[in-house]
Amino acid sequence: MYTFIAKRLAVAVPTLLILIIFSFVLMFAAPGGPFTNERPLPAAVMDNINARYGLDQPYWKQMYDYVYNVVFRFDFGPSFQYRDRTVNDVIAQGFPVTLTYGAWSALVALVVGVSLGIVAALRQNTWLDYLAVGITIGAQALPNFVMAPVLVLIFTLWLGWLPGGGWNGGQWNHVILPVIALSTSYMASIARIMRSSMLEVMNSNFIRTALAKGLPMRRVVMRHALKPALLPVISYLGPAVVGMITGSVVIDVAFSTGGIGQFFVNSAFNRDYAVIMGITILVGALTILFNLLVDVLYAWVDPKIRY
Amino acid sequence: MTYRTKLLTSAAALLIATGGMVMADAHATHPETGVTLATDQSFTYSILDDFPSIDPSLVEDVEGASVARDLFEGLMIENASGEVEPGVATGYEVSDDGLTYTFTLRDNAKWSNGDPVVAADFVYGLQRAANPETASEYSWYIEVMGVANAAAVIAGDMPVDALGISAPDDMTVVYTIDAPRPYFPQMTTFPTTFPLHAATIEEHGSEWTKPENIVSNGAYVLTEYVPQEKLVRARNAMYWDNDSTIMEEVTALIINDSNAALTRYLAGEIDFVMDVPAGQFPRLNAEYPGEALSFPNSCSYYYQFNQSDSGPEALKDANVRRALSLAVNRDVIVANVMAGGQKAAWTFTHWAISGWEQPEIEAASMTQAERNAMAVELMTEAGYGPDNPLSLEIMYNTSDSHQSVAVAIGQMWKQTLGVESTLANQEWATFLNTRGEQNYEVARSAWCADYNEPSTYTDLMTTQSPYNDGRFSDAEIDALLQGAKTADDPMPLYQQAEQIASDNAYFLPIYHYASVRMKAPNLENWPTENLLQNWYSKDLYISASE
Repeated sequence: MYTFIAKRLAVAVPTLLILIIFSFVLMFAAPGGPFTNERPLPAAVMDNINARYGLDQPYWKQMYDYVYNVVFRFDFGPSFQYRDRTVNDVIAQGFPVTLTYGAWSALVALVVGVSLGIVAALRQNTWLDYLAVGITIGAQALPNFVMAPVLVLIFTLWLGWLPGGGWNGGQWNHVILPVIALSTSYMASIARIMRSSMLEVMNSNFIRTALAKGLPMRRVVMRHALKPALLPVISYLGPAVVGMITGSVVIDVAFSTGGIGQFFVNSAFNRDYAVIMGITILVGALTILFNLLVDVLYAWVDPKIRY
Repeated sequence: MTYRTKLLTSAAALLIATGGMVMADAHATHPETGVTLATDQSFTYSILDDFPSIDPSLVEDVEGASVARDLFEGLMIENASGEVEPGVATGYEVSDDGLTYTFTLRDNAKWSNGDPVVAADFVYGLQRAANPETASEYSWYIEVMGVANAAAVIAGDMPVDALGISAPDDMTVVYTIDAPRPYFPQMTTFPTTFPLHAATIEEHGSEWTKPENIVSNGAYVLTEYVPQEKLVRARNAMYWDNDSTIMEEVTALIINDSNAALTRYLAGEIDFVMDVPAGQFPRLNAEYPGEALSFPNSCSYYYQFNQSDSGPEALKDANVRRALSLAVNRDVIVANVMAGGQKAAWTFTHWAISGWEQPEIEAASMTQAERNAMAVELMTEAGYGPDNPLSLEIMYNTSDSHQSVAVAIGQMWKQTLGVESTLANQEWATFLNTRGEQNYEVARSAWCADYNEPSTYTDLMTTQSPYNDGRFSDAEIDALLQGAKTADDPMPLYQQAEQIASDNAYFLPIYHYASVRMKAPNLENWPTENLLQNWYSKDLYISASE
């Protein structure tokens, strides 16, 4: 097991390097640069800026310097768009925000989704099942860019219960709406996966045996069926959790949370090279980490799997 | 103390306290207008994008400049109608040749840490902005001001102390400029020229604008800045005119979605919305009378015709360009597409620019039917018609409102002239590249004034202007605008240049911008008359609701 984890972590390094090189190539292939304006800058001014940010160096040198600074100094460089800040500042400020509402969303999606899935599977083809399936289809069909303004309309404008945006250091009333808007579609996916996997497990031989031996339903579900039925949910969770904790541009924009999700899109539009790279590496590293976690969880849940 | 006396004293205390409050309230009226003031003097406004920087040397956007004007004060400031008033300087003297400006500083101006504001702080501020190491995008502004040696210093060919600004003593700032500029004092209201506290910047480096480090000399100090969320500033007790400041605290919320900002305004979370979604003005004005405001905003929206070698042959023909311009019904675009108080444009210079009078442009006084008839005539003359239709591509940067305008114009060209137009849109940075390299036929453009004088627009019509993406060249315009730089009254020259540009339709002016904002009814004294929308929080106040 430990050699497995060590091996996976060793592979992560070249994976990230390839990711960096690939992103660099794509970035430089895009026309325009971070200082492209409606009003093109005079040549002397442009030269000063390029020199200041090392943009006058050949591409390979820029890439080399970047990787060197990241690896040896943990310095992701200055933001080109927000000139009073470094990429480390941008991530240090925005990531805790998305981590907070993302972790809550993951928890809500998991608990509600799994419960809905189990209920629907155990009461297959009853009104409870239809209700659960109805909710999940509705939740999945409703995109969060529609849901976010509707939530604000209801809870802020009509009821006046919750603020329509802002973060305020993560005060609870600012977190609720982003969590609902973000978790809903993940919750729906988890419920659907859980329902079908639970149905399959409940119809398998070992469950039939357990029931035939006269074990009570509750014990059969909790002790015998739940673990194997969770396997597909776990493999879904890896990328889903990364998606949630790195936030979403829709949530960040609709609720002005100040999270890091909006940078995915904005930094690309602004050609803010260092921020693009910083976020790419962050998401890449988290994806690798969570996939590893999922594999470890797998081994723990399913005794048949050994590494 | 017995129970009874205790009760009595607390009752007395209560009486005094409430009495005191009533007194305070009764006295809290605005010194000029006499309006009763609310007890809570704080306001919250929303902006669309985070500030790229609030460092005065680096500030590059309108909203960042508003923050810089609150935190810092330059030699001169603007009043609510955009007129120049004394700031840190009590006044200035101009030399007879118009090339030397001597500003005298007030002796009671202080930095927020108590240090006096001296002339050397202004010299340091301007030198820092021009210094190649600072790499300021706005260093070109110093060239526009005409400060002596600006170009050489920015290019790194001369040391920063060669810049045409000096401090003969603590109370005197002397600017040397390369040519007379009547609007020069107005340019000292711009953040690039603000004084800076050298010791703070040297101590903290690029971290100096963080709330815990910053030292500033304006009416406000920075108290909190959460990037992408909010920026809070509070009254500066050290400001020389602090007694006149009424507004205690100002919060800028960064809300990337203008619809979300509007919703939060309606929920009462925001007092002022900077960017209201396009096209919503008529509805908001009807539903919330007095709260939806439309201000002239000094930018012009126009289409460029590619007249370079890579452009289509047809656009090199003045008749074709004139026909295309005449066939655009600007009134429909202004009233039905934009619907936010914009004005139809026949010149490049924004109608509200100080002292500007529009020349007699023939088409402007015609009806659209007359214009259309004339357009058809010109097009036929140029050899295009139903048998030989012209086809053009309109290029714009991706945005709903640019698309609406392009669709409308394409339709007008088709109906009136039979021109087949195709629309193409590109993401912003790509678009700028495409337009800058003349890889287009017709392209959407906009230009905003840097200062309140026509040359901020007309300079773009010269052959050598790097912003002339249509690449047209007219010797007469060049000569007129060169002459305007030294003329006593340049206005007629600007007008002639605009007239020639219009006669040849070198570009197609469409409308002059207006910006739509939402303002809470009790937020008073917003400078609606200031064309460049330069506002100072120290002039604002909240009135008590009746």
